[in-house]
Amino acid sequence: MKEKIAKLLAEGEAAILRAKNESELQEVKGSILGRQGVLTQLLKEIPKLDAQLRPEIGRVVNEAKARLGGLIDSRREELKLKAAQVPEDFDYTLPGIRPPMGGLHPITQMRYDLDDAFRSMGFEIYQEDDITSELYAFDKLNFPPNHPARESMDTYWLEGHDTGDAAEKLCLRPHLTGGSVRYMQTHKPPYRFVYPGRVYRNETTDARHERAFFQYEALIVDKDFTFTAGKVMIKSILSKVFGRDVPVRMRAGFFPFVEPGFEIDMGCLVCGGKGCSVCKHVGWIEIMPGGTPHPNVLRAAGLDPDEYTGFYVNIGLDRLVMMRYGVDDVRLFHSADLRFLQQFH
Amino acid sequence: MKVSLNWLKDYVKIPEDMDLKRLAFDLTMSTVEVEGVTELARSFDGIVVGEIREVQPHPNADRLRVCRVDIGDGEIRDIVCGGSNLEAGMKVVVACPGSYVRWHGEGEPVEIKNTKLRGVASYGMICASSEVGLEDLFPAREEAEIMDLSEFDAPAGTSLAKALELDDVILEIDNKSMTNRPDLWGHYGIAREIAALYDLPLIRFQPFDPGETARFPIRIEDPERCPRYMGVQMDGVEVKPAPFRMQSRIWRVGMRPINALVDITNYVMLAVGQPTHVFDSDNISDYIQVRRAGAGEELLLLNDKSLALTEDDLVIADSEGAVALAGVMGGAKDSVLPTTRRVILEIANFEAAGVRRTALRYDNRTEASSRYEKGVDPERCDIALSLAMSLFGEMYPDVKVKAFADQYPNKLVQKELDVELGWLSRRLGKQIPNEQIAAKLGLLGFTVTFTEDAMHIVVPTWRSTGDVGIKADIMEEVARMYGYENFEPTTIVTSFEGAINQLDQDLLRRIKEYLAFRCGMQEVFTYPWMQDTYVEAILQSTEGVLKLSTPPAPDESYIRSSLLPNLCRAVAENERYFGSFDIFEEAQVFKDENYTSPYDEREKLPSQRRHIAGAFAGSAEDVMGLFRRAKGVVENMPRMTHMEEFTLRHQEKPVWADETVWLNVYLGEKKAGDLALLSRKASMAAGIRNLAAVFFELDADAFQPLRSRTNTFTHLAEYPTIDYDLSMLFDADTKWEQIRAAALKKKNQESFLQDVDFVDEYKGSQIPAGRKSVTMRLTIGSGTKTLKSDEIEKCAGSVIRQLEKDLGGEMRR
Repeated sequence: MKEKIAKLLAEGEAAILRAKNESELQEVKGSILGRQGVLTQLLKEIPKLDAQLRPEIGRVVNEAKARLGGLIDSRREELKLKAAQVPEDFDYTLPGIRPPMGGLHPITQMRYDLDDAFRSMGFEIYQEDDITSELYAFDKLNFPPNHPARESMDTYWLEGHDTGDAAEKLCLRPHLTGGSVRYMQTHKPPYRFVYPGRVYRNETTDARHERAFFQYEALIVDKDFTFTAGKVMIKSILSKVFGRDVPVRMRAGFFPFVEPGFEIDMGCLVCGGKGCSVCKHVGWIEIMPGGTPHPNVLRAAGLDPDEYTGFYVNIGLDRLVMMRYGVDDVRLFHSADLRFLQQFH
Repeated sequence: MKVSLNWLKDYVKIPEDMDLKRLAFDLTMSTVEVEGVTELARSFDGIVVGEIREVQPHPNADRLRVCRVDIGDGEIRDIVCGGSNLEAGMKVVVACPGSYVRWHGEGEPVEIKNTKLRGVASYGMICASSEVGLEDLFPAREEAEIMDLSEFDAPAGTSLAKALELDDVILEIDNKSMTNRPDLWGHYGIAREIAALYDLPLIRFQPFDPGETARFPIRIEDPERCPRYMGVQMDGVEVKPAPFRMQSRIWRVGMRPINALVDITNYVMLAVGQPTHVFDSDNISDYIQVRRAGAGEELLLLNDKSLALTEDDLVIADSEGAVALAGVMGGAKDSVLPTTRRVILEIANFEAAGVRRTALRYDNRTEASSRYEKGVDPERCDIALSLAMSLFGEMYPDVKVKAFADQYPNKLVQKELDVELGWLSRRLGKQIPNEQIAAKLGLLGFTVTFTEDAMHIVVPTWRSTGDVGIKADIMEEVARMYGYENFEPTTIVTSFEGAINQLDQDLLRRIKEYLAFRCGMQEVFTYPWMQDTYVEAILQSTEGVLKLSTPPAPDESYIRSSLLPNLCRAVAENERYFGSFDIFEEAQVFKDENYTSPYDEREKLPSQRRHIAGAFAGSAEDVMGLFRRAKGVVENMPRMTHMEEFTLRHQEKPVWADETVWLNVYLGEKKAGDLALLSRKASMAAGIRNLAAVFFELDADAFQPLRSRTNTFTHLAEYPTIDYDLSMLFDADTKWEQIRAAALKKKNQESFLQDVDFVDEYKGSQIPAGRKSVTMRLTIGSGTKTLKSDEIEKCAGSVIRQLEKDLGGEMRR
């Protein structure tokens, strides 16, 4: 009999722990302690036992009853806390609710990345007007009077303002550098500023050419600044923007407003310099022109070129963004097409 | 520009073991960008000279032959060929299996395989010139003609590249990288750079001695535009093909051989960068005159273009009239014909800008004009003459110079510069020894003499036409020859004068980030020019709108005076893909007014202001929701971006706005923008089909950033406040602003009313016609005690009575 009780106790305990919810537990309780429960049945058998054994067995059965009853109560409490707040078939793979879709244009994002990088090096941010005069677009930048860029096939001149004196001939700015002269005229050297903005060229568009695109000009003017320090500046900026060490090289290049002028290449990030289709198998990508401001430009800004020199770069933001994301058509930037823009959130 | 390595070797001894990658790299780093290096022989791999031993008919095809061909490997091969000119003993081009040719000169190269043609095995292929890309050098007279190499002294089995001396390397140079270097537009110029880079000797041309000849009559009427003109009249020439070697060179660098006379002129130009021209002497009457054209003077060019000239054009003329457009192109009248036996060789210098103007005026840019417009130096005529005359001598052993003249009225002045050595080393960040500077500059043609602390420099003639003129140019020459890569990086030294504090820049960025990240709007970029459709839809007038002289498209000539037309276009275009979206743009807008400039008193710039505009596009079912969302974005902008507050007024309806749903945005008493629902009419005109659109446009230049944050702290309430919701009926045209103002009259010292907020508005079946129900939430509380319910009810009751009295409000039951 005692063994029977011990077995019953063990089975009861296991059944209680197995119960996964309150109704299962209720069933277990019924099967043990209910009117037809095994323990209740057992109690009914006690009177049939030998009188000597009755007190002992009675005690054991009651102990078992109390123990199982206690276990059921504590299991019930446990199950109450564990009980699911939702049906068990709750689908946790449904998508989360999206926060409002919004974002900055990928070119603005790159611009702000550069702004942050340059500001950390003590550069100011400068912005200027889109419409400028021939005086600032060309004359003050040392463009010779017959330079091809001045012609209407390259520059967007304004109707009714396309003849006459250079100061009254107006165009959508073909580059930012004229604005840099305005900055220098109205500030005291030394200068250290960046100048982001949209520029305009009258040309036929294709996947690599646009009529409106973004430039990012950086200019340092100081006494005895060497171009080798400029290289350090570019390298640290690009490495910050791309998040890794970017090799930079400077080679001979020509632009009217710098002397000497450079083409600045960065190591191709796609192939790591080994050569791939992106870099036309040379391992380098032409990323910006740069150089020392031409003495005539410094003079136009009212500075003595024997005293001051500096370093200038003009970063093509569109190309940098195209590199960053692998965008293959520059015309998408001005398309206002949300299917494109929403890819850069 | 294509440059032949073999040709360069005529002028500078490039070592045979020169690493071509290195050469391309060094030229790229120091001089010009080498975009490609092509080993020509590569494209002729597996293509050899074969000698036909026998030609037999093809058993199964009338038009094919079976040739027995010796290709020099000891075996005689059968090759099936359909050529029309096959003969025993003929030397032909055989493309062996594994080589690549272009079938019938078309499409991509395909690999040649051993194959059977109509049942007869054929080893490779006998080629026509076009099939190996040599049609310009070996033009076929008829379609099925096979390229004939019988003239060439090359035994069977010789590789085609070797037989034709095509074992050359072509450097492809980016023209843009040398627009400023007129001296580089020929092989000799590039050779000079290579000589300087590697310290190699450069050959010099021996001056031509015309001997005792008659003086050719030349009259230069405009020495400004024509500083120098040489004429050589010669007898004993004829039109015939140039020797293969010359043809091949011209072809290798991308020009087409024509005939010996024309080829000589092209060869000289490609060699030394000096354009030259030959006239048929019999067609030149009396003399050569270089003069301005008369207005309307007619000239037929040799490309059959007929021009009516202007007085700005310079022409070469004889006693009868213009015969050529100076520096651009010869005329039809004087051109070399098969009958030509006497010529006049022109070697002249023309001023750059004039040539450019003329070439552009008639859209007729040529190899010659594009060189002249870079600024060729007049001294170069001498080496061009030397080279040309030696070529005439080679090609026409019987040539006789009948007359010669060299008119040089406008002699080139060589630039001279003084460069302080201390300045140079400071700017370079490095001291380069004087001998090294002198040696490199010397190789480039500069004459350098040192004084104690400076150097005096005479610039070579070929760099004196504008290229080198200031001491910074000399610094560049020194630096590029030393090698930009060989300068050690130096640190940037700076002084700190204070933190950068640019309130306006920061504000603009905060606004864009607010719109994008808080308001969920997408930034877009559009062009500054507007399409007429959207100008008409939105602006409805072009008064004061600026225009481009040469617009990107005929209907995109106006440049924006508002951001809305382009934003409207963006809504119309995105409507196809999205049912609801919010976008914004920040850019400048322009107006034909307020011309002024703070930078230069002569300058007159129009009004240019930075605007920010947004568009909210969504279902036309819920215009109120759309409008309130847009209004919320505008209303909260000042607080969230830290600038002076806006006020919104209903004062001046924008032309593009709906009759009712519009507001003006004010900063103080100045209008700073609008916020409105796009009218149905404008929407239709802009092609927006289904969506409703609410726009705002603000003048960001008027915004006043706060110097710092102005938020103030208030203690958290010590006693509870109660939200008390109230629904009342008002006339349907009663505005919320009126209700709120009336309710807030009860916010005073004695009252516990703290605020009144809008909850909901309802019009419909349960409300009497002409009325609406407005639910508002009163905030009731005290700073000193917990209110009892009768105090709360009393407060609410006073508000209700006020609304009843002022606005005819009525509690909803």
